[in-house]
Amino acid sequence: MAAVSPNAGGPIMLDGVPLKIRLERAERMRKVKAVGLILPLFIFLMVTFAIPIVVMLMRSVENPEIVQVLPRSAAAMRLWDGEGFPPNEAMQTFAAEVVTAKAAKTLGKAAKRLNYNASGFRSMLFKTGTKLERAIEKEGEEAVLQGPEMLERFIDIDKRWGERRYWSIIRQASPPHTAWYLLRSVDRDYDENTDIVPISEDQAIHVEVLWRTIVISAVVTLLCLLLGFPIAYLLGTLPTKQSNLLILLLLLPFWTSLLVRTTAWLVLLQNEGVINDIAIYFGLWDEPLQLVRNRMGTYIAMVHILLPFMVLPMFSVMKGIDPYHMKAAASLGANPVSAFIKVYLPQTLPGVGAGVLLVFILSLGYYITPALVGGPADQMLSYFIAFHVNTTVNWGLAAALSALLLVCVMIFFAMYQRLVGVGNIRMN
Amino acid sequence: MPGESEALVEFDNVDKTFDGETLVVKNLNMEVGQGEFLTMLGPSGSGKTTTLLMLAGFESITHGDILLGGRSLKNVPPYRRDIGMVFQNYALFPHMTVEENLAFPLEARKMPRDQIKEKIDRALAMVRLSEFSRRRPAQLSGGQQQRVAVARALVYEPALVLMDEPLGALDRQLRENMQYELKHIHETVGVTVVYVTHDQGEALTMSNRIAVFNEGEVQQIATPQVLYEEPENAFVAQFIGENNRLMGTVRSLNGKECQVEIDGGGEVAALAVNVAGVGERTTLSLRPESVKIDPPADGYPDRFDARVEELIYLGDHTRVRVNVCLHDDFIIKVPRSGDAPRLEVGETHTVGWNPADCRALDA
Amino acid sequence: MAVAPYATPVEKAWYYTFRVICGLIFFFLIMPILVIIPLGFNPVPFFTYPMEGFSWRWYGEIFGDSPISILWQRSMVNSVVVAICATLLATILGTLAALGLTRADFPGKPAVMAILISPIMVPIVVIAVGMFYFYAQVGLVSTLSGIILAHTTLGVPFVVITVSATLQGFDHNLVRAGAILGANPVRVFRKVTLPIITPGVVSGSLFAFAASWDEIVVVLFLASTEQHTVPRRMWSGIRELLSPTIIAAATMLIIISILLMFTMEWLRRRSERMRGLTPS
Repeated sequence: MAAVSPNAGGPIMLDGVPLKIRLERAERMRKVKAVGLILPLFIFLMVTFAIPIVVMLMRSVENPEIVQVLPRSAAAMRLWDGEGFPPNEAMQTFAAEVVTAKAAKTLGKAAKRLNYNASGFRSMLFKTGTKLERAIEKEGEEAVLQGPEMLERFIDIDKRWGERRYWSIIRQASPPHTAWYLLRSVDRDYDENTDIVPISEDQAIHVEVLWRTIVISAVVTLLCLLLGFPIAYLLGTLPTKQSNLLILLLLLPFWTSLLVRTTAWLVLLQNEGVINDIAIYFGLWDEPLQLVRNRMGTYIAMVHILLPFMVLPMFSVMKGIDPYHMKAAASLGANPVSAFIKVYLPQTLPGVGAGVLLVFILSLGYYITPALVGGPADQMLSYFIAFHVNTTVNWGLAAALSALLLVCVMIFFAMYQRLVGVGNIRMN
Repeated sequence: MPGESEALVEFDNVDKTFDGETLVVKNLNMEVGQGEFLTMLGPSGSGKTTTLLMLAGFESITHGDILLGGRSLKNVPPYRRDIGMVFQNYALFPHMTVEENLAFPLEARKMPRDQIKEKIDRALAMVRLSEFSRRRPAQLSGGQQQRVAVARALVYEPALVLMDEPLGALDRQLRENMQYELKHIHETVGVTVVYVTHDQGEALTMSNRIAVFNEGEVQQIATPQVLYEEPENAFVAQFIGENNRLMGTVRSLNGKECQVEIDGGGEVAALAVNVAGVGERTTLSLRPESVKIDPPADGYPDRFDARVEELIYLGDHTRVRVNVCLHDDFIIKVPRSGDAPRLEVGETHTVGWNPADCRALDA
Repeated sequence: MAVAPYATPVEKAWYYTFRVICGLIFFFLIMPILVIIPLGFNPVPFFTYPMEGFSWRWYGEIFGDSPISILWQRSMVNSVVVAICATLLATILGTLAALGLTRADFPGKPAVMAILISPIMVPIVVIAVGMFYFYAQVGLVSTLSGIILAHTTLGVPFVVITVSATLQGFDHNLVRAGAILGANPVRVFRKVTLPIITPGVVSGSLFAFAASWDEIVVVLFLASTEQHTVPRRMWSGIRELLSPTIIAAATMLIIISILLMFTMEWLRRRSERMRGLTPS
């Protein structure tokens, strides 16, 4: 049996190995085992969730179209300093590649990309391709593609080529990466000198949508707080037997599908719906009121859906507040109102903060409910992300808007984490 | 007395470290006799609970060995040690009824059904909980849960039962009742008990012997009486019971007797129990009831003037706080009786004690 | 909360006003769910009261054998298959991870926890678009497996949160007690650990099930008609022509929700009873 050398001042040895090292080894084994248990889920989420989102978000800075379809032109355009017009050789390369790409049927991809920057660019590019082809047939390849005055030829084909703007769009679309989509997501653009400028007011929409998303979320959060506080207070101060019963009334909507609840409001609020019929029957108003497919319907349905998320954290904090504090305040001479404000209210703040942030974070990402019960002017950021994926198929812009939404959510999630701690999220 | 009978548990040079640098149990040598009620007493962090957990098998032994009935426990897992244990928070299985909790150790031992039933009934009768057999732990009061935990630790008749501060969660009244109840159960069943507590009153009430732990070392193992009356070092004197400490320097040493010069004046005779030598520092330990106010001339050679600072009437006795040799926290207990001196705050009286009651210990 | 004996008339009035306000808010919460259920039995396709009679007509549209009914029935099968597979996967992966998270501290643990929880915080459209983009490149779009993987992701945080909470509340002394009472580790796990943590695992998996069962956005992006689930079919119905068949389907979803809710409440109260009076 090996000797231990206690009290010797130095490290304690066992079988010739410092015991500290053995213990550290054992501790490391424990950590490795713990990590081993987490690893399957971690990898799973990486593959199914994190990597897909990151890859999609990368689309907001990727700019592959011109590089792929017109590789030599892209290189030549990148060499152009952006002053005046591109050098003649660059235009020659461009003309040659447009003709080749049109023949290879890849020009559409590049045309679509350029069309994002200036509508009409698509048709202009195809027209240019066609006219170049015809000119080659007539004059021969060398005469057309090696011509000394390429700019003149382009302007002959379409006079818009005489505007520097179009050339600088090609130049801006030439690098493999671009900040353009991100700029567009906040209604900014490059001008012909590659300076960042606000886009024209009739095109600007995303800043307004972002602002609308924040306003709707804030109003919904405020309404939830106003409606949620009283019932959280009631549940928190009632005896457990009674609050257990009432809490079922809160949990039923919580467990009911979001789609079902949105549908219910659609049915209730529509012009021939229950609420309009009852109101007209009782003479509250004469004509059916427009209650749905507008901001009002959006607020009503979203508040209904998110209210349980506000009440549950507040309730769990209020349940833990000692009722004797209010009695103590009363015995110290505070009237009920000032006792409530000075003693009770401050203690509820952690729950209020958690509820407010949770509801706000969840509202920011709302899509289904505004899409069904809101009007065109009530659609939030999520709607436009889906719109650019499904309708315009502009992945770059969809990704940039996703990044914008994600940044907003992350800011508030970080606050939430600071206030509540991710490990402390409780359900029920 | 049980301590003298054959040893059931032997600790043999046991060391324990968690971090590889500091020893939380240092070179422990201790025996627990068959049928004994041994209490490990000490402040938190003194190593008493770690010692218990090593005996139970929940902590590895860094060095040394523990023997149970002469057999080394080193490679025996907890579930083969056949030891009973009562945990601080009882550790009753919340999803099982009282009956099922008690059946658990018996079923683990593959005992036949009818025998299980019989043993459970007997154990529940012992702790007077027969009507509660079908309740869940959460439906019982703290004291009842405690008794279930005791019954569960005894139901399979282990040779040794460990108790880790089992009364810590109970209120004062209940704790005192349970102390007597545990003592009686120990006496009737005859099981060996190793008990951990930081409450000296509990230790004195129940134990055959007490091992006082401090900083990983056993300071003294003895019966409650010896521990109280003849503490071997300043820590034990201070930890067990109420104690007056006077610091001083040894001036002369003559066998069992020594002369000590107290800081702040005066030289006294004392019993040399644990002093390093002439000229060395020492702590004088005096029990408050050993000090007499206005003592008779003979039998009390150590005498000092003392100013009465505070009087607290406690019924059976009065606690008197006096200032002696610049120590103003010197406590004297004066029993209530006809000839007790009449004292007023601010008066100066003579106090004295017998040198045999004044123990000179380590500084 | 009751009226204090010393309350002034104003306080009493406020007390009752407050109760009425709370009653109205609860009415707001429950009313829409309860009001639509009877409308699914209206023989005519109107969404208002008074109803003109009682009819199973709309349920017949779901359970009959018309082409529409076939679509509804297929969507139900899809919903059940997806929800069960996703729940199983989420429960296994989430429980293992929760065991690891409570077992040891390691550098970066809060960050790992944040990643495991993030599927409930990241906006669902961003998740759906990301999955659509990435899954398209690996051939998982328009497959049930793709939807199952997606729904597992959405359900897993609930399992991690619930099971971690249960494990944190688990008294490790119970394992020691089991061992010292003579049960070997396998027996202790089977008889002590498992029964105590099972309610937590079941709660987590119910959450995961509900998350998959109600999910619509991811399905909107990943599924073609073949893989439509019940919410997805409802979505098409709502967008095209709101018919009482949708209400009938919604009613069935509500019934499932109620069942889930009561199971959950039963589990919660059971574990609360168990912890009840145990001293901490």
